[in-house]
Amino acid sequence: MNMRALFGCLLAAAMTLAAGAANAHPHVWITATSELLYAADGSITGVRHAWTFDDMFSAYAVQGLESKTKGTYTREELGPLAQTNVESLKEYAYFTFARADGKKERFQEPVDYFLDYKDTVLTLHFTLPLKAPVKPKQLVLEVFDRSFFIDFKMAKDNPVKLVGAPSGCQMKLDRPNDGTASAQQLNEQTFLNGENSNFGMMFANKITVDCP
Amino acid sequence: MKPQLSPLARGLLACAAVLLVVGVADAALHHLLAQTPFGAPRPAQAADSEAGGLIGWLLAKQSEFYRQMSATIRAAKSDGSAVWTLLFISFAYGIFHAAGPGHGKAVIASYLVANRETARRGIALSFASALMQSLVAILVVGISAWVLNATAKTMCKAEAVIEIASYALIAAFGLRLVWVKGGAFIRALQVAQPVPAIAGVPHDHDHGHHHHHDAHDHDGHDHHRHDHGHAHAHHHHAHHHGNDHVHDEHCGHSHGPTPSELAGPGGWRRGFAAILTVGIRPCSGAILVLVFALAQGLFWAGIAATFLMGLGTAITVAAIAVVAVSAKDIAARLSAGRDGGGALFMRGIEFAAAGFVLLFGVGLLFGYIAAERTTCF
Repeated sequence: MNMRALFGCLLAAAMTLAAGAANAHPHVWITATSELLYAADGSITGVRHAWTFDDMFSAYAVQGLESKTKGTYTREELGPLAQTNVESLKEYAYFTFARADGKKERFQEPVDYFLDYKDTVLTLHFTLPLKAPVKPKQLVLEVFDRSFFIDFKMAKDNPVKLVGAPSGCQMKLDRPNDGTASAQQLNEQTFLNGENSNFGMMFANKITVDCP
Repeated sequence: MKPQLSPLARGLLACAAVLLVVGVADAALHHLLAQTPFGAPRPAQAADSEAGGLIGWLLAKQSEFYRQMSATIRAAKSDGSAVWTLLFISFAYGIFHAAGPGHGKAVIASYLVANRETARRGIALSFASALMQSLVAILVVGISAWVLNATAKTMCKAEAVIEIASYALIAAFGLRLVWVKGGAFIRALQVAQPVPAIAGVPHDHDHGHHHHHDAHDHDGHDHHRHDHGHAHAHHHHAHHHGNDHVHDEHCGHSHGPTPSELAGPGGWRRGFAAILTVGIRPCSGAILVLVFALAQGLFWAGIAATFLMGLGTAITVAAIAVVAVSAKDIAARLSAGRDGGGALFMRGIEFAAAGFVLLFGVGLLFGYIAAERTTCF
């Protein structure tokens, strides 16, 4: 009896801790704008992101980088860093999750990536082509960090652009600071994934595009 | 009299106490703060769900303080008084941040429980490990960024190496605890067998305590008669101090060679492993703040901020440590029953705490448990 209670305790304790381990807080803030890229036939080919980092992380990222002029960095000088960025992002699935009519879509490796440095902050530009173009009635694109190490926020102005979308397509953006949207998201996600450990998804930015 | 129910009830109560140790170790602030009717000052949280609400609040607070740091460091360039604000923010951030993962508070709490440590030592350990954590962060940034002008990529690699080393250390530390505590537990199991024979002898409440000494001093050999002498001889003593650990130190008992290295008196030497294990891994936040401060030409302000963060962290971890030790003492009191199972149960709890450290380290090492990520990307 004691032994069993003991292992029960141990298990419960381990689970308490594992659950708690998700309680990280963001160390990096990203202000994002995203463009959905459409082909001529109206199918979606990919996503182009522009992510602007906060000044603290920007200072960290450019630490030790060589530049001709002190305090400024050209696109070329930032080239290797951009390379590192997109390579590292792979592990996190680029923090970009797409579902076409409810079906998960995958992305290829990023193309056309570069960094620019303006007003002491870095912006990472990159394009994520879909593995295969899709032409769904509804596309849901979510941008968030599961572990909430990075706090993604869609830009205030023109956060999402549909590039070459067929007429009649409607875009809706649910920001995480909209309490009702988050709650809905949580329920839906919980339902769809069958897991509720995705703490960061409460902070997801959800872009929904409905096309006729 | 229901001999079946009593151990069950005791077991449940003691289990609750253990859970309290870990639960508090992990989420003390969350729950505490949940009681207070604070609103949701920051939008980035789903206030609807209970967990989201309180975790969100905690996160929001940390984020708030953390985000203010860069602006404050910038301000400090032109306005010296902003440094005071920076120090305050860092301190507050440290307090809140330590309630999150990655600060080894679970390791400290488990270590304290496993080793029957005093609350005072728990506080000392918390402060020492937080200080070490601050120093490591300052050294990492000082050497790599300031002296060598290394890039973020290089620093990140260094961080990653330290991280793996720290996880391995936690696992090794846990393994060692398991080894020692497993031995004590098995000995307690062996001792527990003949106990029912003398269970009828009326005991006082000190039962659990004297069994501590039993497994401790005599390596669990059959010394029952001797044990009783011990229990009575030290009965008043224990009550004077109200705490068997203090009693341990004061009486200067000679401890068996096996547990003595970890559980016997020996000042800092014994806690050093815990300090090293917990303190070797710097906090990502501190590294970012330091590099940012360096980039602003205010490295010293970053260093000051890092120490204040450490101080804040230490206070939270120390509070958790005290709660852990108290909860364990409650468990000890609850389990000090009539049939001698109490000692076994306490050995079991210590063994479980040791196992927990091991599991935690292994989990971190192999990525089953996500800790605070390093800033690599």
